[in-house]
Amino acid sequence: MSETWMIFGGWVAAGLTLFLFSFLYKDNPFFKATEHLYLGAGMGWVFQTVLYQTWIPKVWEPLRAGDFYVLIPTVLGLSLVTQFFPRISWVSRYGFTFIMGYGSGLVIPLTLSTDFLKQIGGTISPFLVSEVSRATFWPLLNGAIVAAGFVCVLVYFFFSVEHKGAIKKASTVGIYFLMLYFGAAFGNTVMGRFSLLYGRFDDLYKYSGAKYFYATHVILAALVLYFVISHFTSRKKEAEEEAA
Amino acid sequence: MTFIKKHIPLALCFIFGVLTLGSYYVPNKASENYLEVMNKWENIVAGFAFLLGLFSLFFSHYNKIRRKVDGWGYSLFVFVGFLIMVIPAITSKGIQMDGATLTGLGWNYRFLFNALSGTMFSVLAFYIVSTAYRAFRIKSPQAGVLFAAAFILIVGKVPLGQIMWEKTLGWTHVGISQIVQWLMEVPVVAGRRGIMMGLAIGGIVTGLKIIFGIERQYMGKD
Repeated sequence: MSETWMIFGGWVAAGLTLFLFSFLYKDNPFFKATEHLYLGAGMGWVFQTVLYQTWIPKVWEPLRAGDFYVLIPTVLGLSLVTQFFPRISWVSRYGFTFIMGYGSGLVIPLTLSTDFLKQIGGTISPFLVSEVSRATFWPLLNGAIVAAGFVCVLVYFFFSVEHKGAIKKASTVGIYFLMLYFGAAFGNTVMGRFSLLYGRFDDLYKYSGAKYFYATHVILAALVLYFVISHFTSRKKEAEEEAA
Repeated sequence: MTFIKKHIPLALCFIFGVLTLGSYYVPNKASENYLEVMNKWENIVAGFAFLLGLFSLFFSHYNKIRRKVDGWGYSLFVFVGFLIMVIPAITSKGIQMDGATLTGLGWNYRFLFNALSGTMFSVLAFYIVSTAYRAFRIKSPQAGVLFAAAFILIVGKVPLGQIMWEKTLGWTHVGISQIVQWLMEVPVVAGRRGIMMGLAIGGIVTGLKIIFGIERQYMGKD
């Protein structure tokens, strides 16, 4: 890519970023157009990924090499598209049942080993004889807090017994542990979004330099000008409508 | 006809489900080969499943343009965006870098897709904060704990928060980053494990229901 293309890229990136940020002021045509562009570009990105990572290497090339077994998943996959034709939409069940059957068969053992057994293992491991003999006070206390909290959270989700007495107390403690988790998850989400925001501001700053012919400044000024003009024209139109 | 429309698909689901489940617990060459082939097949079927979403989106926006509904002009940008991404991808053969230089696809990813997706998700930062400010009320001790956890985590991860902590509570000789680390490694783990356990049980039960044909909503109406 030539230098001109890179400068043009800076203008495109700065423009699209500012157009999307303009929604923070109010809804406008630039935002709507960019939003739809993102939808199409996102689909285009996934399309090319599927094309070059699935269809060509896993369907087209094996077929050219004489491996006709790939026709089975291809037909199952194409059967899904019959969803758009109501008269034969039942054919899509063959593709869906394959995905659901295989997916379920795969998910059950993986979930059992990672989300179920490993979590129990992680909770009791600090109390194994080999660990206890080496551990100091604080790791053991932390392990006890995790174990107690884990049991209390499970009690909170256990509806087969009435929540009263000791069960109610344990489930109340469980709520506090859940709230700590939700709070931390919220904080992490906020920080994740803000780090993306810093990234966009960093790019806008980069494209505001002389190398990019002050792309950010020019586009921002044009946007502000648009909003000022649109503000006055809409007020004028409202006044005319009121007068009529 | 019910046999072809309903019973054979359900039988396929059962056969693929049981074989895949069994292959995991019966480690031998045949089961390894089976899982490898099925993984490839699943990739192919999932690739075609993407077409469902693509065609659905295209039909929806094509109809908006055809009927000239309000804002139909914006729907054109969906097709423009798609073509802008796909045409350079085809000319670049799906490669982003040619040596040290960007290809058309690489240029699109860097200046178009990256800018769009990064900005779209970063805009949410404003909405998360403003919604939390407007909707969040500390009316119970539980809500207070939630707020405290979020606040400590946010303060602990930014330099300004760390400086403020040092100035006000530095005398305790406990750093905010240490508190965040303890929070993430101890109480948060307990809460997360409980939820993961619930999800695991739910996932396993739903998986079994699908394999045995008890759960069949995904097949649609007859």
